[in-house]
Amino acid sequence: MQKSRDELLVAYLDGELDERRRAEVETLLQRDETARLRLTQLGEGATLLRAAFDEVLREEVPERLIAAARGTTESEPTQGAEILHFRRKRTAESWRTYKRWWIAVPVAASLFGIMVGGGLTYVGVDHQTPPTGAMQQAAASAAATNNWLDTAAEYHKLFVTASTGGGSFADIPAKDGENSGDVMQKLSQRIAQPPMRVPNLKPWGLVFQGARAIVIEQHPAAQLFYTADNKTIGKAIGPLTVVIASSNRPDVAPTFDHRQDLNLLYWRRKGHAYAIVGQADIGYMWGLANDIAWQFDAI
Amino acid sequence: MKSGFSDQLIAVLPRLRRFARGLTGSAVEADDVVQAACERALARMHQFQEGTRFDSWMFRIVQTIWIDQLRAREVRKEAAEAEGERLGSDESVRRADARLALAEVRRAVSRLPVEQRTALLLVTVEGLSYKEAAEVAKVPVGTIMSRLARARVALQGQLEAGGGLRRSTDDAEIEG
Repeated sequence: MQKSRDELLVAYLDGELDERRRAEVETLLQRDETARLRLTQLGEGATLLRAAFDEVLREEVPERLIAAARGTTESEPTQGAEILHFRRKRTAESWRTYKRWWIAVPVAASLFGIMVGGGLTYVGVDHQTPPTGAMQQAAASAAATNNWLDTAAEYHKLFVTASTGGGSFADIPAKDGENSGDVMQKLSQRIAQPPMRVPNLKPWGLVFQGARAIVIEQHPAAQLFYTADNKTIGKAIGPLTVVIASSNRPDVAPTFDHRQDLNLLYWRRKGHAYAIVGQADIGYMWGLANDIAWQFDAI
Repeated sequence: MKSGFSDQLIAVLPRLRRFARGLTGSAVEADDVVQAACERALARMHQFQEGTRFDSWMFRIVQTIWIDQLRAREVRKEAAEAEGERLGSDESVRRADARLALAEVRRAVSRLPVEQRTALLLVTVEGLSYKEAAEVAKVPVGTIMSRLARARVALQGQLEAGGGLRRSTDDAEIEG
């Protein structure tokens, strides 16, 4: 090995080694207890490092930076970093409902006519039109196109519409104190998928809000809901859904698409199809996709 | 076009602040750097290439501004300012440092050489690949790899020497 052992161990942790070197490191780890201990220590250090800086993401973004991003600020930076509180905007207010939107599962179910019980199929809604007509239109559209991405986009819209109205259709809400492992265990049982963990997207300013079992093209799937944890940036990021479905199609690298005014980034890997759906910018979604893919591979 | 660009910018502000906080070790300095980066990005928005990572582009601008400021400070002979003193002078950081173990990690990061600190923040905190981090830092991938390893080992050494690892791990678990 030309690289130092620490370099290889760090790169191994970061998933940056090619197959040959990864095999070398794994051989080393099998026979060398010191290397295993070193790997554990380096991994713990990385976890600590992320935790040490993550709280910055939860801070309110100073107004002067928002103004700077909008190009409406003086060129001189304000000294003293005074943090101003934003007036609560209508959009921000509406997102506050996310914190309790799972409470009204039956309400949402009756409102949107979504199916109850174990047999879930697809019904969508376009929030620009009244619910009943929109549902029929979306359902007909989905049935006609039988398109995976269209369906994922429609599910996203259904989630947004239900949430904005203060309702919910989450099968499995992310209750305080309930860890994501439990959430996915329940969901995995219902949709007959291998055990998975909910991707931790806190570093991206996203909080997991709940999950739902759905069906896309006759395949069981899970829809995970995330909202921004910072109301200042919530409008720019918007709510995001992550769809995970079983798939028997070949692997596909992350690919960008645009459906129904929504950005989608989708990929297939190891018998599963994934999609990130929302109105966030595509660069942000690329970052999310990398992180999600890494987290699933790490399981 | 500017509106969409600004929306992208606002979306990455929390991460830019985190990156800048790690580089500077100071909340005030970090926000000044981010503000300057926003202004520079808007002035040069035509240089951003669609289809490339917006966050990486912004990280590069933040890093460039920070390095420029460091150089200017050296010229003005202000670089002698002690890291610990600078960290301690920032009230908002002091408040955030109530969680001592995590504060210890941040202090350990601030003691790393700038190049190692940058690699560590880009890859380990911001989740960039080695290739992406290399593009931001404008160095070869191999350089990122070695800087990163040195940084992680140095950080580990500092935490062990300070006895912070055990306490910090407990904190991290609580944060979950």
